[in-house]
Amino acid sequence: AAEARWLTKEPLEVNYLLQVRSVLLYMVVSSSAVPVTDLLDRASQRSDKLHALSTSLSQELNSHLPLIGRVITPRPSMCHTAALQTPTDKTQTLQLSEANLLSLARSLLQAWMDPLVDISTSANSLPHPARNIISNQVQELQEHSKSLEDGLDILSRKMGPVAQTISFLPYLRGNDISQDRISSLINLQFLMSCFRRDSHKIDSFLKVLRCRAAKLQPQMC
Amino acid sequence: MKEVMEEAVLLFLLLVIYTPDAQGTRYSPPGKPELTRCRSPEKETFTCWWKPGSDGGLPTTHALYYRKENSDTIYECSDYHTAGENSCFFNKNDTSIWVNYNITVVASNALGSTFSDPVDIDVVYIVKPNPPEKVTVTVMELKEWPFLRVSWEPPHKADTRSGWITLIYELRVKLEGDDEWEMHLAGQQKLFNIFSLRSGGTYHVQVRCKPDHGFWSEWSSTSHIEIPDYLHREKSMWILIAVFSAFIFLILTWSLHMSSHSLKHCILPPVPGPKIKGFDKQLLKNGKSEDLLRVLVVSDFPPTTPSNYEDMLVEYLEVYVPQEQEVLLEESKDLHDSCLKFEGSTSDNDSGRVSCDSHTLLMDKCGEAKEEGRQTDQEDSTTEAEAQGQQKDWDQDTLMYANGDILSPEKSSGRVKTWPSVFSPLPQYTLSLPDQTSSLEMAKQHCYSDSLFCPGSTSSYLTHLGNNDNETLGPGSWEICLSNRQPYSHIPQMQTCQQVRSHSDVNISTIARKQEPAGLPLPFFRPTAYVEVQRFDEEDMVVLQSIVSDHGFHEGFPQMLQQEDYSKVKGVDSNNMLLLQTEAMKEDGDGCRCQDQVTNGVTESSCTLSISTTPHKPTAHIHTVVSTQDEMAQPASGYVDTATIFTLPTY
Repeated sequence: AAEARWLTKEPLEVNYLLQVRSVLLYMVVSSSAVPVTDLLDRASQRSDKLHALSTSLSQELNSHLPLIGRVITPRPSMCHTAALQTPTDKTQTLQLSEANLLSLARSLLQAWMDPLVDISTSANSLPHPARNIISNQVQELQEHSKSLEDGLDILSRKMGPVAQTISFLPYLRGNDISQDRISSLINLQFLMSCFRRDSHKIDSFLKVLRCRAAKLQPQMC
Repeated sequence: MKEVMEEAVLLFLLLVIYTPDAQGTRYSPPGKPELTRCRSPEKETFTCWWKPGSDGGLPTTHALYYRKENSDTIYECSDYHTAGENSCFFNKNDTSIWVNYNITVVASNALGSTFSDPVDIDVVYIVKPNPPEKVTVTVMELKEWPFLRVSWEPPHKADTRSGWITLIYELRVKLEGDDEWEMHLAGQQKLFNIFSLRSGGTYHVQVRCKPDHGFWSEWSSTSHIEIPDYLHREKSMWILIAVFSAFIFLILTWSLHMSSHSLKHCILPPVPGPKIKGFDKQLLKNGKSEDLLRVLVVSDFPPTTPSNYEDMLVEYLEVYVPQEQEVLLEESKDLHDSCLKFEGSTSDNDSGRVSCDSHTLLMDKCGEAKEEGRQTDQEDSTTEAEAQGQQKDWDQDTLMYANGDILSPEKSSGRVKTWPSVFSPLPQYTLSLPDQTSSLEMAKQHCYSDSLFCPGSTSSYLTHLGNNDNETLGPGSWEICLSNRQPYSHIPQMQTCQQVRSHSDVNISTIARKQEPAGLPLPFFRPTAYVEVQRFDEEDMVVLQSIVSDHGFHEGFPQMLQQEDYSKVKGVDSNNMLLLQTEAMKEDGDGCRCQDQVTNGVTESSCTLSISTTPHKPTAHIHTVVSTQDEMAQPASGYVDTATIFTLPTY
């Protein structure tokens, strides 16, 4: 029931990258259990959308960042999710089990729930001409993240206890009050770059998972 | 001193030697190189290219150094050759994803080295795959409508099977010679059908791909395919064109038909109809003949006081039925669509005055009623010879015309309607009996009107002209002559109405001859009876009423004038002869004794009914319908009534 509810949530925009699956049809066919492939397919679509949103948001912020900000942008190694051990090449990624992949994805996603709130707050207070656009995109980002989190939650229950393990990644909130405008802007952009990468990771993991689960349907890959 | 001088010379020499020539190159450290781009085709390796700056005139070498984000170790590019000039290739071992690379290129020469600006890249963001491979295009046939099937494979380096890379594809098609491509997005599938084809052409097809978050690849090499000719395609287009043209043609025909009325009006202007005082055309259209005739019956008829002379205009109606059984009269509603030309008539549209000169009464088939016809002062001079002379002319193209009425042979409605004689103010009508002994010649009306209006007096007579050469008033021939005259005039009105050629349709037997007025040495005198159409009854009967002259002109027919008589068309016999009878109210019936019925062999006497339309109201038409009944009314009854409508043969 929970799976069905998650699948029938408001339909995402059909990303041209991914095919739209008739999930409802599957639901009708298999009344109680929704196939994992369909769940993964749906989740992949959402993660793809999430990454696309984060990319556009990051580019939007970069265009408005003063030049000096680029220089002093913190390195991505300082992202709060850097503590999570993730594969760094294809070989390592493909060696991971499905449960591991899912666990990593879920951990990353979970780690960004709070920072996204901060990002939203910070974006609203931007002294920015494109503030509305950025705010809307951040809002959309939050919604997709939440939706994906729920879906992965449902998925993890089907894949065993390992999949349900989530690594906790603490997020240390900066002192916003003392930050000036430039600093807050720089911080915002730094966060967005971190999120962009992490969303790419999530997307990649899920797509690998999707291909693995759909061995009988090669057209998915 | 001398040493200083030597050092200066040495220095000078050194300067001369080592200073470059004015035309020679200047050596300098190399210019700043620039990293142009870095690309990864499969998210496993990547390559970076740079553009060197000026080399400073000296041999310059370039080196690429990079550093990964979470270490400070600086590495140098290990492969400068695989990817070509000014490039650095990172193999799988050196490539890490989700890791920022800080890359710098250094150009060095003898004089120094120059560093480029560092560039930060993440491999996962710079993916640009190779073009799709093994693009095959085939022409497939589906029920005579061919289509193109394009299939391809992902670049061999991209690992899509494990899901490492997800590719979407796009292809484009164009005809040979076209400038614009037709794009098609194919998604993740590796097969695509193109249906919008034209036969007989050569198509170019290209495919490219793109990872989910990366750059589009280059287009694959062009695949050429030729579509064979398919005739049916062209045929279907011709069919479409034919249908469209037919449709346009139908629209044109319809619009022409719709405007035919106005066209006809323009080309063939209508002949105005008669004006009958007190006549309501609308009433006629409603078909209530009783009301119609009641209108005509004016209380002051016969007029006790002389009314306007203009009111007493009666036109002659000349009826001509051509060989082809043209209709005699037309319905009133065709008043304005007349094709008749009223030549030479002096009648205007309203009055319908016609000259007595018959030759001016020629009718053309399609003409207008001329308001100012030839003045006919010639009635006195008209002779029988003239009549005969013009006979042939008339034979050929005379048409029946009513004063202002529409007579169109083509518009035969199957009815023969005789125009009722003018009523109210027109006191007198002369009915002329055709001289049965005379041959059927073209009647020429000699109007010896006693009235001053004779030249312009409205005398309308209805002559039925036929092409037959029957000597007698054969079937279909009838003549109605009406003329009015001044009641005050004492000049006897002589009117000769010769019987015209008979027509097969209608015969109007002559009305009883009247006594010749004394002193009228006219050879073709015909007795005249004066009737007036009193009314229509519901049986389409025209009830005629004789008119009493105030001045007792009709001395010869006193009895007739005593009371109102009804003359009605009895019917039409088998010979299509209109039989009229007068009401035998009088003892002697002399008033309307019909003699010499000009029918084929019928000796019954019946009065010819003369009916004419009044010139007063052009819109007024009263027409009697002559029935073609076989039975003949008894002469004694005195009633000649138009019994029923008869249908004429088709014209």
